[in-house]
Amino acid sequence: MKTKLYAGVASIALASGAAFADGHQPFAIGDGDFNWDSYNVFADQYDLSGQTVEVTGPWTGLDAENVEKVLSYFASATGAQVKYSGSDSFEQDIVISARAGSAPNVAVFPQPGLAADLASQGLLTPLPDGSADWMRDNYAAGQSWVDLGTYPDKDGNDQYYGLFYKVDVKSLVWYSPEAFDEAGYDIPETMEDLKALTDQIVEEGGTPWCIGLGSGAATGWPATDWVEDMMLRTASPEDYDAWVANEMKFDDPKVIAAMEEFGYFARNDAYVDGGASAVANTDFRDSPAGLFSIPPKCYMHRQASFIPTFFPEDSEADFFYFPAYEGKDFGKPVLGAGTLWAITNASEASNALIDYLKTPIAHETWMALSGFLTPHKGVDTSLYANETNKALGDVLLNATTFRFDASDLMPGEIGAGAFWTGMVDYTTGKDAAEVAKGIQDRWDAIQ
Amino acid sequence: MDNIAGTKSSLTWAVNLSVIFLVLLWLVPTIGLLVSSFRDRDQISASGWWLSPFPVEQNFRVRAPLDDLAQDGPLYVLEGNVFGEGSGSVSAFGGTSRAPDANEPGETAELTRDRTLTVAADGAFRYTSPAEIKREPSIYFASETPPDFSMGNYETIMASDNMDLAFINTLTVTIPATIIPILIAAFAAYALAWMDFAGRGLLIAIVVGLLVVPLQLALVPLLQLHNKVGIGQSFLGIWLAHTGFGLPLAIYLLRNYMVGLPRDIIESAKVDGATDFQVFTKIVLPLSFPALASFAIFQFLWTWNDLLVAKVFLPSNSESWVMTVKIADDLLGSRGGDWGILAAAAFISIAVPLVVFFTMQRYLVRGLLAGSVK
Repeated sequence: MKTKLYAGVASIALASGAAFADGHQPFAIGDGDFNWDSYNVFADQYDLSGQTVEVTGPWTGLDAENVEKVLSYFASATGAQVKYSGSDSFEQDIVISARAGSAPNVAVFPQPGLAADLASQGLLTPLPDGSADWMRDNYAAGQSWVDLGTYPDKDGNDQYYGLFYKVDVKSLVWYSPEAFDEAGYDIPETMEDLKALTDQIVEEGGTPWCIGLGSGAATGWPATDWVEDMMLRTASPEDYDAWVANEMKFDDPKVIAAMEEFGYFARNDAYVDGGASAVANTDFRDSPAGLFSIPPKCYMHRQASFIPTFFPEDSEADFFYFPAYEGKDFGKPVLGAGTLWAITNASEASNALIDYLKTPIAHETWMALSGFLTPHKGVDTSLYANETNKALGDVLLNATTFRFDASDLMPGEIGAGAFWTGMVDYTTGKDAAEVAKGIQDRWDAIQ
Repeated sequence: MDNIAGTKSSLTWAVNLSVIFLVLLWLVPTIGLLVSSFRDRDQISASGWWLSPFPVEQNFRVRAPLDDLAQDGPLYVLEGNVFGEGSGSVSAFGGTSRAPDANEPGETAELTRDRTLTVAADGAFRYTSPAEIKREPSIYFASETPPDFSMGNYETIMASDNMDLAFINTLTVTIPATIIPILIAAFAAYALAWMDFAGRGLLIAIVVGLLVVPLQLALVPLLQLHNKVGIGQSFLGIWLAHTGFGLPLAIYLLRNYMVGLPRDIIESAKVDGATDFQVFTKIVLPLSFPALASFAIFQFLWTWNDLLVAKVFLPSNSESWVMTVKIADDLLGSRGGDWGILAAAAFISIAVPLVVFFTMQRYLVRGLLAGSVK
């Protein structure tokens, strides 16, 4: 009856950090529905025996284990050795090692803003010729991905630096199908329905939402995702882009309106588990647990596609698309984020690795492992490890508008600073206009 | 006499009480960490560590398996035991997750669509429905669970790959990074304390000034220098870095201690013809042992617990991870959600520093006082 889950944790810890070997590969080459042709073509093209590629990224634990498995196919195709090292404080480490001249060959950036910073200091090498064209043709919404990976170099010329590989979808609401079923709730198709459902749950004596903003030094970021999602649903994509570039000021009425849309849910004591005052104090990793408690502490949780990692073991969960307003004509916007692979220390092997990431097999191997979504149009989506991931992939492919997480694109001091703390102030009762003005003042100060 | 003795003892009593209180207060976080280290992530997020020694009443959900479906007259009936093969005691039950403990054991609960549910205290249940049951119904019940601790976190850490290597790496970093600065600082401190030369005061001022320079400032330039001279990211590099970062405090501490040694001894040694080197090795060094030991404790603890310098000056591959890096980047899992592992790792990595501290701690207070009260 009681859940015993040490085995899972132990196996995660056991397997990470192991060296690359053929025995490490989860799928035998040539087996299954994978696009092994693309693998063979790639393998014929490169022979990098004796070379080593060092890759560093933000992934640790299970994700690190997966990336090592995926990269082992690159190693076996080319004969090169791949060394991945993940770091919990990647953002600081990469800056130090790049500036000191001891950067690894390839770095995986979780935030385009940071890559842009390094590119402008001349610490990144543009991707091989033709990469941008390839991206445009082979990724859904290709041009927007190219734009996100293109930054001015040291001399101010735009260059293409980053290939997006591994994408997260953020516009999702997670729920427990069991709880929804028992209470007789339907999946809302529009934002109007979602608000009606929220009220209905309250009327029936439940609490609709679990929201937690706590995340150590990064406390507040889940709220920025909410506001960005709301911004895409109450304003046009062009307005969103203008906001990211600060052509539209942070204290513009449209931005304040989006913040207040978030406040509609988060600042209502009846809507949130623990009341509005608990929002800022609850850790984002702990907050979804309320969905699965008995009786349910809440029924819905808006969070990105990675969150199932933090669900209690053995819990059944499903998600629905965080809906758009029926009454507003902004299509079906999807907010997302992704990791960007850039060359920090160019070599023949590092260029080859970037080329490898363009092959369908590089995407399919990780798709089959879990925790990976891709906008690559040439992959077999039936290879996703489970239905949930496949459905997530569909959300990504069906989006009429895809926009990248705004806080990741804004300058660090805003997107990873003032915006976070501002949202904590807002959820704890400060006026939206005042908060927005404070953030804009900070932005003015750094320009 | 009785009076005086009484006053005395009651005062001691108060002192003892407040000391005990303060010690307990200081120990609370550590005890919490220790208790948490025996619980897994779900348990930690479900309840506070202070509740963990007590049995808690928890709500559970089970699905009644459909393969036991039987027909009893007009009713479809599912029977079984909520505990499956095991056993336990039900303290309340219900048919919906909103009210998982609405009914006493033995009662018959009326559910929607004329369905009924009965759960006995021993877990035997009977679920009836006038219509055919197509989906496995959920049964909710409350039951008392005994406290549950396990060594799982410790096993995970001890069994993880390369943990032994990380331990050896930490020692490889820590021991030279403690000894080298002491060697250099002892010579420097003697010179600054007892040898007359021009600019001595200024040098001391500079050393004191360096104490307040944050080491983060030096990370990038120092690594650049290491790359230029060919050391790169290596153990030699981190020894040099730790030595540099530790020297100002070491020199300051030792010099202040040595200055306090009786002048007579040193002067009579010099009159007897001892050289500075002899004075240093034969007299000053043995007398300064408490200060040397106290600095050694400091430096050892700081290099043992260091994460930042190790990440910057050591290569990032898993063969050269020290324990702190291993814990932070490998064991904590994606996005650092495994609190139980963190707590257990803290206790594992604390073991060696504790031994060092307890073997040398009698020097610590002496050495510190000697350095500061001047």
